[in-house]
Amino acid sequence: MTVGRGVATWGQRLVALTWKELLHLWRDVPLLLFLIYSFSLSVLVSGAGITMQLTNAELLAHDEDQSPSSRELIHRFQPPYFALVGAISDPREGLRQLDEGRAMVVLDIPPRFHEALMSGERTTIQLLVDTTNAPQGLSAAAYTVRIAALFGTEAALASAGLSGAKASRPLVSSAHRVWFNPTQDERWFQSISHLLRMITLFAVLLPAAALVREKERGTVEQLLVSPVSPFQIMFSKVLAMSGVILLATALALYGVLHPVFHVPMKGSAALFFLLTALHVFTTAGFGLVAATLAKNQAQVAMMALFVVGPMLLLSGITSPFESMPQWVQAIMTLSPLRYYIDITYGVMLKGAGLDLLWKPVGAMLLLGGTLFGSGMWRFRRQFQ
Amino acid sequence: MMSQPASSADEVVRVSGFVKRYKQHCAVNGLDFTVQRGEIYGLIGPDGAGKSSVLKAIAGVLGYEEGSVDVFGTLLDSERAAEQVKRRIGFLPQGLGLNLYPELSVEENIDFFAKLRLVPEADLQARKARLLGITRLDRFRTRLMKQLSGGMKQKLGLICTLIHEPELAILDEPTTGVDPVSRRDFWAILAEWQAVKGMTALVSTAYMDEAVRFHRLSFLSHGRVLASGRPADVQSLVPGLVVTFESTPQLEAVARLKRRYTQVESLGPSLHVFTPEQDAEAAVAGIRQALDNLPATHLRTDEPELEDVVVALLLKEQDGQTTVSERSGQSGLSANRPQFDGPAVEAKELIRDFGSFRAVDRVSFEMKQGEIFGLLGANGAGKTTVIKMLTGIVPPTGGAGRVAGADMRTASGAIKERIGYMSQAFSLYLDLTVIENIRLFADIYGLARRQAQQRMAWIVEMAGLSGYVNDRTGRLPMGVRQRLALGCALVHSPRVLFLDEPTSGVDPIGRRRFWELLSRLAREEGVAILITTHYLSEAEHCDRLVLMYAGRIVAEGTPGELKAEVEREVGQLLELTVDTPGAALAQVAAAGFTGAALFGTKIHVLSRDPSGDEARLREILAQVGMTVTGVRPRMLSLEDVFVSRVMALEQASQKGGAR
Repeated sequence: MTVGRGVATWGQRLVALTWKELLHLWRDVPLLLFLIYSFSLSVLVSGAGITMQLTNAELLAHDEDQSPSSRELIHRFQPPYFALVGAISDPREGLRQLDEGRAMVVLDIPPRFHEALMSGERTTIQLLVDTTNAPQGLSAAAYTVRIAALFGTEAALASAGLSGAKASRPLVSSAHRVWFNPTQDERWFQSISHLLRMITLFAVLLPAAALVREKERGTVEQLLVSPVSPFQIMFSKVLAMSGVILLATALALYGVLHPVFHVPMKGSAALFFLLTALHVFTTAGFGLVAATLAKNQAQVAMMALFVVGPMLLLSGITSPFESMPQWVQAIMTLSPLRYYIDITYGVMLKGAGLDLLWKPVGAMLLLGGTLFGSGMWRFRRQFQ
Repeated sequence: MMSQPASSADEVVRVSGFVKRYKQHCAVNGLDFTVQRGEIYGLIGPDGAGKSSVLKAIAGVLGYEEGSVDVFGTLLDSERAAEQVKRRIGFLPQGLGLNLYPELSVEENIDFFAKLRLVPEADLQARKARLLGITRLDRFRTRLMKQLSGGMKQKLGLICTLIHEPELAILDEPTTGVDPVSRRDFWAILAEWQAVKGMTALVSTAYMDEAVRFHRLSFLSHGRVLASGRPADVQSLVPGLVVTFESTPQLEAVARLKRRYTQVESLGPSLHVFTPEQDAEAAVAGIRQALDNLPATHLRTDEPELEDVVVALLLKEQDGQTTVSERSGQSGLSANRPQFDGPAVEAKELIRDFGSFRAVDRVSFEMKQGEIFGLLGANGAGKTTVIKMLTGIVPPTGGAGRVAGADMRTASGAIKERIGYMSQAFSLYLDLTVIENIRLFADIYGLARRQAQQRMAWIVEMAGLSGYVNDRTGRLPMGVRQRLALGCALVHSPRVLFLDEPTSGVDPIGRRRFWELLSRLAREEGVAILITTHYLSEAEHCDRLVLMYAGRIVAEGTPGELKAEVEREVGQLLELTVDTPGAALAQVAAAGFTGAALFGTKIHVLSRDPSGDEARLREILAQVGMTVTGVRPRMLSLEDVFVSRVMALEQASQKGGAR
């Protein structure tokens, strides 16, 4: 047999196996529907529905002063961040409402508040914040501090006879410019994050399930006694599933992110898809290793969750990577998603190219190659 | 049917007009039968005949659409009614050890079921000792269930089902996938519990040769009863004789015989023909006439087996041609086929260790081209490991071998191109269509397009798949699926074909058709076929057999040679017909006859001196007032050979262990 004929036969086998995988998926209607849902409706819902910003925090005012100044302060707590839900006269009532979860913030203004301000005395206000939901509570507190500080400064300036444009006392004012997401549209971040989650989840699950199904049915033995190599058996699955996931990603990108949330594609779309394929290949390595250890689909699903769970939580799409403990960061260098996040935001929002992204790309290549290699090594051994 | 009209008090189960549907699919369509107290009643039929549905309904765990099911005179029409009878029945669901807990030991499993059924402690100890004794499981009391072999699991499952001494035991395919020795143990418990405790049993099976174990039976096919009654009654439905002989050239003889007879089978070197003539001479004359001038040697005539009768009934029902198409199945690709000299498979001192366990121990054999070669053995004897080594899935720990002319250790790539493999599960992709499956394997074997087209056409024709080409494989009947799997294994015209338990779950006609294909492949195309099977009646088709035990080959030869050898050692098989078989068995065993066992209403006994022993048996039984209505010699079956060999080895190894 000539080398050319050998290569052609090798290709013919790989194509046949890949095509078979696509047929399996095409005929698995429930899985197909779930896939389409995950990359369309579910991205839409998460983009439109999930927000980390403070909205409608229930505010109770306990105003013991009932003066123009106290009313002025209370009215500075505005929607969409705060919603004034009532005024109370008894401080214990405020505590009760906090306990019952009907109020999130209680603003306590002491008597003689107005008088003190007018006479230039020092005065304090008290703020009680429910921080059961820590991020929300913290941002409520932060907003309140800002509002109070601004109010205080203005009052101080006013008492010194300065107001409006006349205020020429030395002050540091910060002028900030928002980059990469100029309208600070949080839906961009949320919808992209969700897309990344779905890509990662399916990249682990689809090839793993396909391989375990062959083990369960016993068809894998049929393949082993035929002249196909373990590489062809495993790679054909990754190839087919990568193709499907890329298609689904395109659906999410051009069917939801772009038209609905106006997420831009600053960099090269081709580069984005190429690197997405790399991410899918690398992540699929985890699934394939799991599939060689598992006996059935339930087991492989459990193992996949074990890998995907921490990966989704700790790679930096749910919370900032930098704020995690050192040891978590160290473990997460093994997560392809960690690099893929940098790549995605880089290409889509910052317009970065390979010149900027070579580090994460190199890390993914290394990781993917290692995983795929160990999957193949396990694959042969599991039958012996 | 022919049974005496019995009072309804003796009726344990009455099923009438039973219909069970799953969505549109009608699993059982109008079934009637009754089971009398103290009998072992059989439901026989292939997969999908509706056996499980009926049994589950009788056990009170499945509803039904039409008709009625009465158990102990209670109509099972509600959950509440079912609960009333549940304490009096024992149900063993289908599947090896499915009712057991893998993490518990043998004894813990039994104790658990006994506690569940509130069995008093004293009774429990006695029953446990007895049941573990008959099943030879007493040595394994502390072993975890998950570490038992398939046969042992099934025996344990039966013990747990019988521990509360149910009046009615419902056993769903208890012997499927169980090795012949465990099957014997299994039947021994049932026979004893029936004879001593007066238990009634309702048992389903796919093995035709187990029919003789039943007092009465119904043969189901596609949710209907095809025949029912005592085994003898069913046998008399289609009168005739079976003529066995040898003729050459075999294929030509088969072709000639088929013009006249509907049932022609080749079993190794001999032919097996079912003739409608009931007179032996007329039958033989008919055969000679059909053969024209071809020779017929080693002629003998026998009463037909139940399987012959059932196949005749099925053929009548289907009223169609079920034989493989007559066109000679030349593949037209023989020239392309890699040729080689020497034996098809040559195994020399093959060894395989798994850790410290030696699964295969110095196995050597040789398989000629064009030979059908059987590899027999209980679960765990090492058959599958041998096949895995020869096909290159598992590397051998030691030894050497050549497969299809290539060295196992150095040319596994070449071997893979030259062999075909078909596993127990048929290894097809069920969500692909027939043609997609064939095309996939054609591509995997690197067939060029034109060549692939030719091969596909040949496979479709050979396996009779023409009506199914675009059907999803999952929707095909088992028999068709099996032929498709064979077709896929043959797509690249292999020289050696490995078949690992290929016929489980296929109906008798499908099995016969499959064997006809195999014998043509071997005879016409010279393909060597290595097959493992649990159906020992199927091993009769092989030209040569080896029997494996504990990783070693312990017997080798043609089916005839193996039988003759065992007959020399243990004697001939006699079948006794008596009116009270249970009591008679005890007498026969007490008189020192070896191998005495109950087969429904008959007793089987081994004898070295048939005529002398016949007189002795009649005398012994006459002394206690029992009449022997018939004694006839029977051919030893391969199952008898298997069981006798394995039992001897087990005893030897136990003695060895004790020493």
